[in-house]
Amino acid sequence: MTDTATPSDTGLDVEDLDAAAADAAADLDAPTANNAGDHGADEHDDHATSLGLSNMKLAMWLFLGSECLLFGALISTYLLSKTRFLTELVAGNPNVIEGLMGEEAVEALPDGTRGSIENVGEIFQEMAAEASVEPIFDIPFTSFSSFVLLMSSLAMVLAHKATEEGDYKNQRIWLAATATMGSIFIGGQIAEFTIFFREGLTFGGSLFGSAFYTLTGFHGVHVTGGIVMLMALLILSFRGKLNSDRAETVELVGLYWHFVDVVWVLIFTIVYLIP
Amino acid sequence: MADSAVSDAPVSHDDHAHGEHDHPTEAAYWKIFAILAVLTAVEVLWSYLGLSGPALVVPLIVMMLVKFVLVAGWFMHLKYDLSILNGRYFTILFAFGLVLAVAVYFVVFASFDWQI
Repeated sequence: MTDTATPSDTGLDVEDLDAAAADAAADLDAPTANNAGDHGADEHDDHATSLGLSNMKLAMWLFLGSECLLFGALISTYLLSKTRFLTELVAGNPNVIEGLMGEEAVEALPDGTRGSIENVGEIFQEMAAEASVEPIFDIPFTSFSSFVLLMSSLAMVLAHKATEEGDYKNQRIWLAATATMGSIFIGGQIAEFTIFFREGLTFGGSLFGSAFYTLTGFHGVHVTGGIVMLMALLILSFRGKLNSDRAETVELVGLYWHFVDVVWVLIFTIVYLIP
Repeated sequence: MADSAVSDAPVSHDDHAHGEHDHPTEAAYWKIFAILAVLTAVEVLWSYLGLSGPALVVPLIVMMLVKFVLVAGWFMHLKYDLSILNGRYFTILFAFGLVLAVAVYFVVFASFDWQI
């Protein structure tokens, strides 16, 4: 979307046309200057647009807006499934109880109570007192992962800042730090999934399992995608193609990274902290 | 479109000039991170207090929203998303997605007769 105005447009006076001509002339000059200074890169992030905003940044925000819908739907599904799952639990569904608390819990259910809503609330409370309702979530472990992901957001903004200032040593340090912390988070998630799977919480085993793995799994895939982007930035940096003119490229990856972080802020509270 | 392009010509220059200089300082980023870290610690502690119902959930949701605003406003620079044509285009785009997502959430719940 470039700034071109044609005389055929109505409602333009002579001054407007002059401004348009001057603008068009600036457009013609811009690529020449850019090619001379930027290793022949044909992208000009700071190109003036009709909105006065960067098209790339606009596109990224639009993408993030649509990502809100994706994660909004997944979180809604999780909340619904969780409630249904608890209803099943209270109703004494042995499959669900086994998925959550292991075989012993099912064996502990008195005969004749399975599937019956009467008296089961009491049994459920007894079981909850014995086993705790969320024996599966390891809050300290996940808190550590969440903290690491939050810290990676700080490293990301510092990488952007260093790029703007032309401090390429710090740029590489912070980019590498962000990618490393993202990898630690993913490592933690893999470890967590493995433990949950061994505890009997499988993807197909219960509604809760499906919703939980879909939500956190999608988030994990997003983090992984972000790590790939960060590694690409690092490679560009080492090749000398990520100078301060291209600070917006780092900012765009940063926007994506912070969004993924902010989604985890929601997931951590909704899934892990609120029982 | 062309009309706005012409009237925006000086603004485009403004865009170049405004650059990233409006963004927070490095010290501000560290401060925001410190607040986020403290909030996360308080959230975790709160979940261990043995509370239930609104006493547990409401503070947790509030802290979650504060963290969301801090990251989106400062790390994603939405707080500084102004002055260009006096509009907040990025904030509006993002908010549009958010509001739509929350609306979908309520529609889904409504379609289940609020059996949550």
